[in-house]
Amino acid sequence: MRKELDCRGMECPAPVLHVRNELEKETPAAITVLVDNEAARQNVGRFLEHMNYKVNSEIMGGEFRLVGTRADGTVSLEMPSPAPSAKVLEPGTKKIMVFVTSDHMGHGDDGLGDMLMFNFLKTLKEMGPNLWRVVFVNSGVSFTAEGSEAVPVLQELAGEGVQVMACGACLAYFHILDKMQVGEVTNMLDIVTGMQLAESVITV
Amino acid sequence: MTNEIIRLTQTVKGAGCAAKLAPGALDKALCGLDLPVDANLLVGLAQADDAGVYKVSDDIALVQTLDFFPPMVDDPYSFGQIAAANALSDIYAMGGIPKTAMNIVAFPSKTLDISILRTIIEGGLSKMREAGVVLVGGHTVEDSELKYGLSVTGYIHPDRILTKKNLQTGDRLILTKPVGTGIISTAIKAGLAGQALTDRVILAMSTLNREAALTMEAFQVHACTDITGFGFLGHLAEMVVDSGRGVRITSANIPMYHEALEWAAMGLIPAGAYNNKNFRGSFIDFGADVTQRVQDLLFDPQTSGGLLIAVAAAEADRLVYALKAKGIDCAAIVGEVVDEPVERIIVE
Repeated sequence: MRKELDCRGMECPAPVLHVRNELEKETPAAITVLVDNEAARQNVGRFLEHMNYKVNSEIMGGEFRLVGTRADGTVSLEMPSPAPSAKVLEPGTKKIMVFVTSDHMGHGDDGLGDMLMFNFLKTLKEMGPNLWRVVFVNSGVSFTAEGSEAVPVLQELAGEGVQVMACGACLAYFHILDKMQVGEVTNMLDIVTGMQLAESVITV
Repeated sequence: MTNEIIRLTQTVKGAGCAAKLAPGALDKALCGLDLPVDANLLVGLAQADDAGVYKVSDDIALVQTLDFFPPMVDDPYSFGQIAAANALSDIYAMGGIPKTAMNIVAFPSKTLDISILRTIIEGGLSKMREAGVVLVGGHTVEDSELKYGLSVTGYIHPDRILTKKNLQTGDRLILTKPVGTGIISTAIKAGLAGQALTDRVILAMSTLNREAALTMEAFQVHACTDITGFGFLGHLAEMVVDSGRGVRITSANIPMYHEALEWAAMGLIPAGAYNNKNFRGSFIDFGADVTQRVQDLLFDPQTSGGLLIAVAAAEADRLVYALKAKGIDCAAIVGEVVDEPVERIIVE
C-alpha cells in the first residue's frame, strides 16, 4: 500500500506530527511526503528513519518529496504514544520500571519473603530489553549494599544497561550510604520523573 | 475575563529563541553598515558580543541589551519569567550588574484576553525583583502574534568586561545549564512533553544566570557568553572565531535533557537548529562516536540557556565546585582551549 501526504505550508513540528498520525492509523509499505522547507525535510526524514523506513528525498523547485520505504513490509511497528510520552524507545521495546519498596516480598513469613524477593530480582533479567530501570526504596535499598547476595545479580543487570538506582535518603536512614556497591544514588524527583517516563511501573 | 485555557504556544509559529532570525541572514543585513564612531563605545555591534558597553567614566560603563520572543511555554506567568531571565542573562554574561529594564510587548488584543498580558508582566517583574532591577517603562504594540521581552541596562567596571574574545590556551570551558530546551519547546508545542518534564525545563529556563555570574567573579575567568538562539556550538563558534586558538569538546560531559535526545531522533527539531548547523557546521569536526542526535542537541537553539565560561585550567575544578555549592548542580567542564587546530571546534 502506498500513501501520499502533503505537508507543504506546515512548520515544525506540524509535518512530523502529521506523518506520525498517519502512521498510527496504518503502517504503509511506502509513504511519500511533500514538504516545502529544509527543516521539515530533515525532521520528517529523521522521523521516518526512526520508524524503520528507508528514506530518499528529491528536490523539486523549492519543495521536497520524501519517499519512505519500509525495510520489512510485514512487521508492524510500535508507535511512540502521545502525551505524556517522553518514552520514545526503539520500536518494539517497552520501558518498564520496577519499584522495589521492601527487602522482602509479600506478607506472612519474612524468611520466605526474603527468599522470594531475591528470586524475583534474579529472574528480572527475563524481561530482556524491556527492563529499563530498577529503583530501590525503604528497606529495599539493602539489596544494593555490601553483604547482600543480590549485589552480583544487580551488577549483571547494570552491565546489560539496566539502570539500577537506590534512594539516597533511604541509604542514609539505614546508615549504608557508604556501603553501596551497585547502581547510583537517586532522589524523589528522579523517581517521580522516572515513573512518568516509564511505560509501566511494577511495584513490589 | 474568560475561563478558557489558552495554550500560548499554539498561538504562534516559532518558539522562544528558536524563533531567532537565521544567523547568516542577520550577518547579511548588518555587514558593511556605516556605524557611528565613539571612543567611549567599548563593545559595540562590530564585536557582536552579548551586550553593548559604553564607558561613562573611568570606573563606570553602561551595559545594554535587549531580547524578546514569542512564547515557548503555555503558562503566561512562566513565559514572563523566562523572557526576563533570558534578557537579563546577556548582562550577566558580560560580568555586569543589571539595574533598570523596560518591557517590550507585541500583543494580539483581539484574540487574547488582556489579563494574559498582565500575568506575563507579573512573571517578568518577579525575575526583575530577584535580580534587583527596577522597571522604568516599556512599549506595547498591537501584533498578530504575542511577543515579550526586556531591554535591560546595567553597569560594569570598564576594566572588568567579560567578552567572548579572550580564550587562553589551556582554559577549561564550563557550562551551567543543560542543553535541549529548543527541542523540548517543540515537543511542548506538539503536546508530547509531560507536565513533570515541562516543569523541570520551565524552572531551568526561568533560573537567572545571576548566581553563576556572581560565583565566577572570584575566579580567573578569561571569556564568557550565554547560550541562547545560536545553540551551544553556535555561541562557542563565536568565541573561537578570531581567537587564534581551537577548542576540544567532550560531548559526554555536556549536560543534556535525555528526553530531548529521544525527540531529536524522532525529528522534533526546531528549524533554528538547522540554520545554526548550516551557518557554523564548517567550523566543527565531529568524532565518529558523536551520534546524530547529540549533534542535533549541540545546535539546538536554547532559550535562557546557561553561561559558557572559559576559566584558567588551575581554577576549573574549584569553580565547578563553587557553582554546585550555589545549587547549579549540572555545572560541568565540557571542553578545553587548545593551540591546534586553529579556530576549529573538535567534538568528541
